[in-house]
Amino acid sequence: MASHTSKAFLSLGRINVHGLGLQKPLSRFTYATALTISSANTSKGLPDRGGRGSFLRKPKRDAGEPRTEKMPVDQDWTAVYPAATPFRPGSVPLPVRMGYPMKGSIPPEKKGNLELIKIPNFLHLTPAAIKKHCEALKPFCTEWPSALDTDVKCDEHFPIKLQSTDYVFAGPSVRNPSARIVTLRVKVSSLNLDEHARKKMLKLVGKRYCKDTDTLTITTERCPLRQQNMDYVMYLLTVLYHESWKTEAWEAEKTVADMEEYSWEDSPSQRNILGTLVHMKVAGEGEGEEVREQLLGRKEVQEYKDSVTRLKNEGESESHMLQYKEAVKKLLNL
Amino acid sequence: MAASLSSAGNVRLLSTLARSGSLLSSSGSRSLHVTAVCCKNRAARIRVGKGDNPVTYEHAHAPHHIAHRKGWLSQHTSNLKGEDGAAERTVEDVFIRRFMFGTFHGCLANEIVIKRRGNLLIVCALMLQKLPPTKFYFLIGYSETLLSHFYKCPVKLEIQTLMDKAVYKYL
Repeated sequence: MASHTSKAFLSLGRINVHGLGLQKPLSRFTYATALTISSANTSKGLPDRGGRGSFLRKPKRDAGEPRTEKMPVDQDWTAVYPAATPFRPGSVPLPVRMGYPMKGSIPPEKKGNLELIKIPNFLHLTPAAIKKHCEALKPFCTEWPSALDTDVKCDEHFPIKLQSTDYVFAGPSVRNPSARIVTLRVKVSSLNLDEHARKKMLKLVGKRYCKDTDTLTITTERCPLRQQNMDYVMYLLTVLYHESWKTEAWEAEKTVADMEEYSWEDSPSQRNILGTLVHMKVAGEGEGEEVREQLLGRKEVQEYKDSVTRLKNEGESESHMLQYKEAVKKLLNL
Repeated sequence: MAASLSSAGNVRLLSTLARSGSLLSSSGSRSLHVTAVCCKNRAARIRVGKGDNPVTYEHAHAPHHIAHRKGWLSQHTSNLKGEDGAAERTVEDVFIRRFMFGTFHGCLANEIVIKRRGNLLIVCALMLQKLPPTKFYFLIGYSETLLSHFYKCPVKLEIQTLMDKAVYKYL
């Protein structure tokens, strides 16, 4: 009982110490010893109600030693920190120190250290805890199908790829408007299209087609919900497919400027070269269509045709220019 | 006490620096009075005093030490690029700090740390052992319920109690 009341007055001593500056603990001790004699006579019934206004006599129970003292070395740490919680100095048996030290001193200790509470800690993610998580999740998982072990096979069986993003962020509501965006990717070669249909589809989609990877990418964010956007994008693909198979009446008006690729037949290049050859009288005497037909069948003319087509379709490069040069030299016997 | 001293000193400092450029004219026309600017930064700094004022780590360091010696008291994703809701989170933080300061009056040992993990709002506070534990439990439950009803999201309070404030240095 004496120790109990002396502790109550230890707190009193401490409060006064703040006002007076750095006091030696000696003064606290004298305070305590002086007053225990008088308080020993008072009743021990209701210590906190002792006298009006003497709210200093709070029944201070001992805080008790922190849990760290009683922790065995081989305890189950996942039981101490099962989920993500802020740092608790009484539960972590490590002598951590954090903070900028005073001159000639060390960083402040973990007890009452706000810096350790501010930072996120990963005490709940030890390897043992992660193993436990995985074990708990295993019954809900299914094996990856063994037949789909390469990317090529996946593309072959599942040519259409739909992509959407889920967002995690901090806030009272879980809704994010960007989560409704859906992207569809499909390889045009995996669709059943003939030449005309393929050209028409590429013209219809325009910029959404990537020539290098032969991928058609359609992105929708038109509808407010993700499911609606998914349905819409599948609808778009279906419509594109069916429309590209149809031939409209106005497609007959396709001009040379609309052509996607360069074709040598009936082009100025053909006319020019044939005219030059006829002028040079390479095939011998004779005018008219048969001469031109004969010329066309010649190997050098075919080579020339290949090199010009290549140049126009694939762009200029060293090898193409060289090929063109060789073809021209052979044709004109230079 | 320390706070009132510093404000009085500030007034005196300003008055000594003040040079009022007023034009006195007999006709009673109005004129503009200007004072020189007191180029002193006073934000969140406790001025050095006699050496009897115990100061926590949080108060001892000025705002320019944030991210160098101090962490952040409030953490959420709204301040990242492309994320929205920053203003709402800030207003929530301010309200929560005032609420905690009022509910646990006189018991707070240090600033409140607010963490957001998805939907969950976690309020971490260091308290002094001024109230009996039963009163603490009641206030914790009361705050959690009231705040979760107010913000429509689960609110958790993580309270740690100390015997007295963790003093970093004396200013």
